Amino acid sequence: MTATQSLLAALLAPLLSAALITFFFRRRGVIASTISVVAAAAIFIFSLFAIREMGTGSVVASWDWLTFGNFNVSMGFFFDGTAATMLTMVAFVGFLIHVFSLGYMADDKARARFFGGLSIFMFSMLGIILADNLIMIFVFWELVGFSSYMLIGHYLDTEEAAAASKKAFIVNRIGDLGFLVGIVYAYWHFGTTNISEMHGIVAANADLVNAVIAACLMCGFIGKSAQFPLHVWLPDAMAGPTPVSALIHAATMVAAGVYFLIRIAFLFPESVLGGIGILGTSVAVYAGFCAYGQNDIKKILAYSTLSQLGYMAAAFGLGFPGIALFHLITHAFFKALLFLGAGSIIHGCHHEQDIFKMGGIFKKMPITSITFVLGVLALCGVYGFSGFYSKDAILIAAGLDGTLLFFLLTGGAFLTAGYMGRLVWIVFFGKPKSDAASHAHESGFTMLLPLIVLAVLSVTGGWLQFWPEQLGHIIHLDEVKLHNAAGYADKHHLVLILGSAAWIVGLLGSLLFYGKGATEDQLEKRAAPVYGFLKDRLWFDEIYGYYVAKIQQRFAGLLSVLDVFVIKGVLVRGSAGLVGLIGMCSKSQHVGSIHGYVYWFLAGLIFFWVVATGVLKAF
Amino acid sequence: MNDLLAEFLRGYTANNQWAIIMPEIMLAVLALGLLGAEMVLPKKSHGLIPRLALWGQLFVLVVAMTAGSYIGFESKSYFSGMIYQTDITQFMRGFFLVCSILVCYLGHIYLSKQQLPKTEFYHLVIIISAAMMLLVQSSNFVMLFVALETVTVAFYVLVAYCRSSSLSLEAGLKYLVMGALSSSILLFGIVLLYGVAGNPELAFNSQDALNFDELRNFIALNSDNLLVRVGALLVIAGICFKIGAVPFQIWVPDVYQGSPTPVTAYLAVASKAAGFIVLLQLVTGPFMGLQGLLVPVLSFVAAATILFGNFAAVTQRNVKRLMGLSGIAHAGYILVGVIAAMRGVAWAPYAVIFYLVTYLLASFAVFGVMTHLAGSDDANQELDDYENLARKRPFLGGILACGLGSLAGIPPLGGFIGKLFLFVAAFQAELFGLLGISVLGVVISIYYYFGWVRECYFGNASDEVIHDVKAPFNMSDRVLLGALVVGTVIIGIVPAALPIIP
Repeated sequence: MTATQSLLAALLAPLLSAALITFFFRRRGVIASTISVVAAAAIFIFSLFAIREMGTGSVVASWDWLTFGNFNVSMGFFFDGTAATMLTMVAFVGFLIHVFSLGYMADDKARARFFGGLSIFMFSMLGIILADNLIMIFVFWELVGFSSYMLIGHYLDTEEAAAASKKAFIVNRIGDLGFLVGIVYAYWHFGTTNISEMHGIVAANADLVNAVIAACLMCGFIGKSAQFPLHVWLPDAMAGPTPVSALIHAATMVAAGVYFLIRIAFLFPESVLGGIGILGTSVAVYAGFCAYGQNDIKKILAYSTLSQLGYMAAAFGLGFPGIALFHLITHAFFKALLFLGAGSIIHGCHHEQDIFKMGGIFKKMPITSITFVLGVLALCGVYGFSGFYSKDAILIAAGLDGTLLFFLLTGGAFLTAGYMGRLVWIVFFGKPKSDAASHAHESGFTMLLPLIVLAVLSVTGGWLQFWPEQLGHIIHLDEVKLHNAAGYADKHHLVLILGSAAWIVGLLGSLLFYGKGATEDQLEKRAAPVYGFLKDRLWFDEIYGYYVAKIQQRFAGLLSVLDVFVIKGVLVRGSAGLVGLIGMCSKSQHVGSIHGYVYWFLAGLIFFWVVATGVLKAF
Repeated sequence: MNDLLAEFLRGYTANNQWAIIMPEIMLAVLALGLLGAEMVLPKKSHGLIPRLALWGQLFVLVVAMTAGSYIGFESKSYFSGMIYQTDITQFMRGFFLVCSILVCYLGHIYLSKQQLPKTEFYHLVIIISAAMMLLVQSSNFVMLFVALETVTVAFYVLVAYCRSSSLSLEAGLKYLVMGALSSSILLFGIVLLYGVAGNPELAFNSQDALNFDELRNFIALNSDNLLVRVGALLVIAGICFKIGAVPFQIWVPDVYQGSPTPVTAYLAVASKAAGFIVLLQLVTGPFMGLQGLLVPVLSFVAAATILFGNFAAVTQRNVKRLMGLSGIAHAGYILVGVIAAMRGVAWAPYAVIFYLVTYLLASFAVFGVMTHLAGSDDANQELDDYENLARKRPFLGGILACGLGSLAGIPPLGGFIGKLFLFVAAFQAELFGLLGISVLGVVISIYYYFGWVRECYFGNASDEVIHDVKAPFNMSDRVLLGALVVGTVIIGIVPAALPIIP
C-alpha cells in the first residue's frame, strides 16, 4: 500500500462504519459499537502504515472534484510532518475513547446512534487533518460541527442537551461566516486555496500576506476552539456524554482550530499574530478564574480546556506554531485522561456530577484515582511530566517576548494548579457525601485500560527525544529556535522556579483553603459576591442573553412584522397568485383539439418568418 | 447500372466501413430476431422474448463500448460524408442504449398489467434506439431525415400502443398529425437549403448541397441570403418540435399523458436528447455562419420555453402531464447550454451531455416509480394517488424523492451539478438575461416538484389502508431503481465520476 492509499483507507474506514450503522444496524447496539471500534482501530493502523511509507518527506495527492473551463476545485491530501503528528494523536486517542465508550455507554438505549456519530466525527476530523485546500477544510469543518451537534444532543430527552447542542451549532456558525469570507477573499487574492500553493506564493513574495484574510480565517479558529468572544458554547457542551466531551471537546475538535492555524501559519502577519497572542492569554486567565465557580466536575475540566486552548493560541501568537502543536499533543493526552477519568467517576457514582456530593473516591476507585491524579500533575506542569515541557516552552517564549504576557500566563499556571487542587482534594479525599458516592465502584476493564494507557502517555508524552523521527519535526525546529534565542538561559531558570512554585503553591493552597473532602465551597461562604461573579462566568452569557433577548429579539420582531405583511402577504402570496394565474393561462392553451394545436405551429412559423426576414429589426 | 452498384458496394467492403456502424446493425438484427422468435417459439416460452431483448441490448452495449474504446474517439467521416463520428456520438450511442434498456425493462412491467401484444413493443423500442444512434451521427440532410423519420414513425405506433385506452389512441393521433406537420416543415427547410446551395450563381455553391461540410462553407458566405435564413429557421423549427420547445411544445402534455408510461419516459429522455444533439451539431456545424440570426431566436425560444414549462406545470395535478410540462422547462435549460456553445464556450456541448445524463437518471427513477404504481389505467395518475406513498411504500417514496430532488436541482444530487455546469457555461458566454430566467425557472420548479414530494411524505395521515395495485416488486426492480439513485448521488458528490467535461 502506498501512503496515499493508506490515508484514503484511514479516511474512508469511519465513513463506511457510519454508513453500515445507519443503514443496517440502527437498532443493534452491540454490532454497531463493534463496527465503530474496529473502524477506529483501522484508522490507527492505516495511519501507521501511511507514516511508515511517508518517511521524512510529505505526501501530496490531489483529485479534481469539479472542473469546468479554467475553473477547478480539487480535493486532496497534504500530509506532512505536522499532519502526521496530529493524525497519530487523533487516531490513537480516538481509538482509546472508542474503547472507553464501550463500557461507558453499555446501558444506553441509543448506542447505535452514538457510535455512528462517533464514526462520522472521526471521518470529518481526519478530513480536516488531511485536507490540502481551504474549501475542503471548510467542508469537513462543517461536518465536525454537525457531528458535534449530534453528539452533544445525544440525550435527546433533556432540555439542557437540546439547548447546548443548539448553542454550540449557532455560535460556531458565527465563526464560520468569517471563515467563509476569508476563503473567498483568499481565492480572489491568491487565485488558489491550496495550502502548499499559497505557501509558495507567500514565500516568493512576502508582501502578499494580507491581514484581512488572516483575520477572517482566524474567525473559524475562534469559533471552533472556543476562544473569546465565542467561548460560551464549550462549557454548555458538557451536556453530551462524557466520552464525547473527552474526544471532541478536549482532545481533537477544539484543538482542530489550533491545528488549522498551524497549517496556515505562513499567512499570518505580525499584527494578527500579536492579536492572537493577547486573545489566547486573556482566555487562559479568564477561564482559569471561571473554573473556581464551578461545582460540576465536567465543567471545571471544560474551563481548564478553554484555558489550555488559550495557552496554545498564545504560543501560536508568539510565533512558535511548533510549540503550540507540542502543547496541543500533550494536552490531548492528559485532558483526554482527565475527562475519561471524570467519566469513570461519574459512571461509578451513578451519574452524579457535583464534586461536593462525591468525596472519598480514592478508596473506592483506586486505579481511576491514581491515573486521574497523574493527569492533574501533568496538567499542572510538574517537572518531568508531559505538561511541564510544553507549558515550560510556552512560558519561556512569552518571557522572551515581554513581561505582561509572561506574568499573565504564569499567573494562569498558578490558577490551574489551584482549581485542579480544589477538584482533587474535594473529590478524592475525605468521606463520601452522598449515597451515590458511598456506593461507588471501580469501573470495568474496557474503561480502565484507556485510562492506564493515557496515564502513561501523560507522563512520558513530553519526552521529545523518544518520539519517532517522522513526527514532531516542526516541534523540534521551534525548540531549537527557542534554545538559541538570546536570554534563553535566564528565562529557563526563572520559568523553572516559577512553574514549580505554581503547582506547589496551587495544590497546597487549595488544600489549606478548601480542606480535604470539603462539603461546601469555602469561597462561596467567605466571599459570596466574588464566587457568584465567577460562577456566572463573568456574566458573558448574561450579556449575550441580554443582547439576544432585548436587541436582537426586538429587531427580529420588527423583521417578522415586515415578513408577515410585505414578504408573506404581498410577495409570496402575490407571486404565488401570479404564477398560478399564468399557469392557468398556459394550461388553458392545452385545449386538447388538434385544430388549435396546428395554429400554434402556424404562429411559431410566422414568428420565425418574421425574424428571418428581418421585419423585427425594424421595430 | 449493376456495375455501378457493384462498384459502389465494393468501395464500402474494401475498407470495411460497415464495422463502424456495427452496433446499429446488431440492434436491427436483434429487433428482427425478436419477431422471428415470436413466430418460432411455442406460446409458453414467449416469456423469453423480453429477456432476449434486454440481454441482447446489454450485449450490444458492451460491444459498442469496447468498439468505441478500440476505434478511438477522434472525429472521422465515413460513407462519403453520410456518417460523421465524434466523441459525442460515441457517447450518445451508449446513452441511447441505456435508455432503450431501461424502457424495455419498464415496458416489461407495464405490459404485465395489460392485455396487449408484447413482442412488437420491444421490437419498436430497439429500432428507435438504432435509428437515434444513426440520427446523431448523420452529417447529411438525407441521412438525417431518413433516420429521423424512422424514429418518428416508430414512435407513432408506440404512443398509440395501448389500443384499449382512448387517451392513448388520441395521443397517437395527435402525435401523428403534429409529427407529420413538423416533418414537413423540416423537409421544406432542407429543400430550400438544397435549392439555394445548388444555385450556381452564388459563391461556394455545391453539387453535394445536402452535406453538412459543404453547407457550412456555403452558408458562411451567404448568411444574408433570405432563402438560407428561412431554410435554416424551418429546419430549426422541425427540431424544436422534437425537443418540445415553445412554440412547438403544444403537443407535449397530451401525448405524454396518453402514451404508456415507459414510452413517455422514452420520449422525454431519449427522443429529446437526440433532438438536442442534432441541434448542437447543426448550430455548431452547417449553421455556424448564421449565429447573428440564430442566437437571438433561440434565446427567445429558450426563455419562453423555461417560463412556459414551469408556469404551466405549477397548476398541474396529473403527474404525467406534470412530467411533460416540467420536461419542457428542462429543454429550456438545455437550450441555454446550446446557445452558450454557439457563442463559443468550447466545453458547453459537454455540459449539455452531462445534463442529459443527470436528466436520464432522475427521470427514469421517477418514471420507474410511476410505472410501478400505475394500475391498468395508466393515463390517469393524479398527485392524490401519491398521498402517503412514503408510509405505504418507503422504498419507492425514497426513490421518488431523490429523483424529483435531482430534477429540481438540489445538492448533493446530480441534477444540481448538471444545472451548475450549464449555468457556468451560460455565465462564461455572458448570457446574463437567460441565466436570470433559468434561475427563476428553477425556483418555480422547486415549488411543484416538492409539492409532489410533500404529497408522498407529509400527506394527511389516514388510518384506512388504501388498496393499491401492488405490482410484484422483486429484487431486480429494487436494484435497478436503487442504481439510478445511487448514480445520481455519486454524480452529485463526485462529478468527475462521469468523465464527460474535458
